[in-house]
Amino acid sequence: MGGQAFKRSIESVADIYRFSEDVMAAADIDESVRFPIHLAMEELFVNLVSYNPGAHRDILIDVQIANGGVVVTITDHDAAEFDVTRARPVDTGASLRERKPGGLGLHLIQHMVDTLEYDYRDGRSKIRFSKEPETHDV
Amino acid sequence: MFEIDYAESGEVVCSGRLDAAQSARAEAFLGRLETSHTLDFERLEYISSAGLAILLKTQKRLSGSGAAIKIINVNKHIYDIFRYSGFNAIFEIETL
Repeated sequence: MGGQAFKRSIESVADIYRFSEDVMAAADIDESVRFPIHLAMEELFVNLVSYNPGAHRDILIDVQIANGGVVVTITDHDAAEFDVTRARPVDTGASLRERKPGGLGLHLIQHMVDTLEYDYRDGRSKIRFSKEPETHDV
Repeated sequence: MFEIDYAESGEVVCSGRLDAAQSARAEAFLGRLETSHTLDFERLEYISSAGLAILLKTQKRLSGSGAAIKIINVNKHIYDIFRYSGFNAIFEIETL
């Protein structure tokens, strides 16, 4: 468990995957948690990189295991304000002709993680999200 | 790692992880399709919104000539993403 710094590059998504997969595999985290965690990490990291191209500082990612679930904190000390918790409606019922590529990342995260928090102050963006295992009736 | 290539059957086989860093490879391959094709996702483990954008772009382009892509052998997690995205209404999809 712990944190790591990643360069502000789309190419870092493979390193982020390996880092977080190692942490979750060591804790035997269920695939129903791992998949949305990987997705949320990639989407949020790519957003931070893509929408603030003038920034240079590494982005910090911390992955913690808690009660069979996972809590991730992404900290960017070189960030523009962008509230990832704000609703971003996507017309998922639109026809093929009406649909436009893009804009699905935050929509997916908001559906697939259990909690999503955002804090911004003095140029520092901190995003925290979590996912717990699915429960099944027996 | 992400791989995309034709199978002997003519289907397009995708494997690995289709993330933002790999989406250009998918776009280069799918951008060459000119007729209807089936994409086999049996060995595709993961897809993010970057991959979804390429699929949607391809489907929109092909629809102009009456063609379409069909996606088969989709795992549960990827199907969840398709469902949340509304892609289950604009692609013919078969799950594993």
